Amino acid sequence: MKNPYEILGIREGASEDEIKKAYREQVKKYHPDQYQDNPLSSLAEEKLKELNEAYDYLMKNASPRKESASYNNSRSWNNQGDNDFFNQVRVHVNSGNVKVAEDMLNGYSNRTAPWYYLKGLIFMRKGWYDEAYSHMQTAVNMDPSNFEYRNALNKMNTANNNYRGNAYNRGYNRGGPDLCTVCQCLWCSDCCCECGGGDLIGCC
Amino acid sequence: MFGYILPEKPEMKIKEYELFRAYYCGVCKSLGRRSGQLKRFLLNYDSAFLAVLLSAVSGDTPVVKQETCIAHPIVKRYVVKNNGIVDYASDINVLLAYYNLEDDKQDEGTFISHAGTVLLRRTFKKLKRKYPAKCDIIESRLNELHKLEKEVCTSMDMAAEPFAKLMEEVTAYEPLCKDKKINDILRWIGYNLGKWIYILDAYDDIEDDIKDKSYNPLVSQFDYANEAEAGFKERIRDRVEFNLTCSLDQIAKAFELLEVKNNVGILENIIYMGMLRKTEKILGIGSCRKVEKSV
Repeated sequence: MKNPYEILGIREGASEDEIKKAYREQVKKYHPDQYQDNPLSSLAEEKLKELNEAYDYLMKNASPRKESASYNNSRSWNNQGDNDFFNQVRVHVNSGNVKVAEDMLNGYSNRTAPWYYLKGLIFMRKGWYDEAYSHMQTAVNMDPSNFEYRNALNKMNTANNNYRGNAYNRGYNRGGPDLCTVCQCLWCSDCCCECGGGDLIGCC
Repeated sequence: MFGYILPEKPEMKIKEYELFRAYYCGVCKSLGRRSGQLKRFLLNYDSAFLAVLLSAVSGDTPVVKQETCIAHPIVKRYVVKNNGIVDYASDINVLLAYYNLEDDKQDEGTFISHAGTVLLRRTFKKLKRKYPAKCDIIESRLNELHKLEKEVCTSMDMAAEPFAKLMEEVTAYEPLCKDKKINDILRWIGYNLGKWIYILDAYDDIEDDIKDKSYNPLVSQFDYANEAEAGFKERIRDRVEFNLTCSLDQIAKAFELLEVKNNVGILENIIYMGMLRKTEKILGIGSCRKVEKSV
């Protein structure tokens, strides 16, 4: 096992609160929801397992773990109402056999809402986001009451918000003047100085 | 189509900025040393990013020296030296530049593209012997791209596929890809980089392509009907932004799985901010509307 402190990204001998905080942050980052329909989802699961092990290890000496292993990775599908065919396709999508699932769907002529939904999932895995979005949209339009479809569509939108949120947290566009404003200020100051007989920027 | 991958300089630490430039200078010097001085004009920031990324994955600390060069003959700058990854990035730079010129030659037949391919031919042949498998894949992807362009493909996903796969191939640097996990992650980063570049470039070129009546995946997907170009761009902006952000989100997620120890600050800066900035600039939704070409 690797150094559990390193896995959680904290210094050795960190307090229980620090461990918990780091664990929560890391779990959020690698949570299956974040990597749903992502070809690297199994790697994220591996990472999560590693985090859980590290956390368990560190907590064993301090106090019994209260959160329990609530972040387990198995996701059950809502099978109600779907016929066997679509369930089979789902199994293939979940186990990563995207090509098989895609061939099955392409050969199936009854294009109902679940067909579009599953096709959307496959496109997402392949990285065809535009097609994925329009297929999900079609699934939702055909069956507006289905929570699963609506949820998938919403998730695509929130994934993008997450990315942006991450950028803003790192300082993107946050406060302070941007470069254009800085240039403008410099140029204005230069003009003022020149009017007053001095010069701020020698070359202009 | 190149030079979109830039850092967000104002948010960089000075040391990160210096190191990024050291990689950039390293690629430039490697170009000059191994492919001939003239090829240094082909340098772009994308290959510096490739060098920074692969070097981070390899985990080796780069050897940095202070040197002068033609462009900066007096003040010495930091340069990453004797680095196999930097050499690889410079080879890829030349290869892609050659294919790009070849492409221009076939499409427009400008003087520069003719002269360029002639000048590059010898270096290209050398590189083709060095990376026969990679070159074969790149060429077959480019043929697919040509075919889709000729057929006036009406799906941006389908049209972007060959270029995305090409970038996937380029990013999968063989010595690092023996590890299956790293291979999968690097390939997914490369795929999404290619996708992002292709769609961003398509949006950037809308006016020119309409004027020249050349193929543009966005123009054909969204049924451009002799409307004002600005109006058309406005109409499709949200959809294009969605697609570009999807790719960036996937790059970020894949990067988080890499567990790199070197160059983390630079890579996070480029992935989370530099590429978002570029996206917003080209879509015209950022604070600076004008697109800057260099750092």
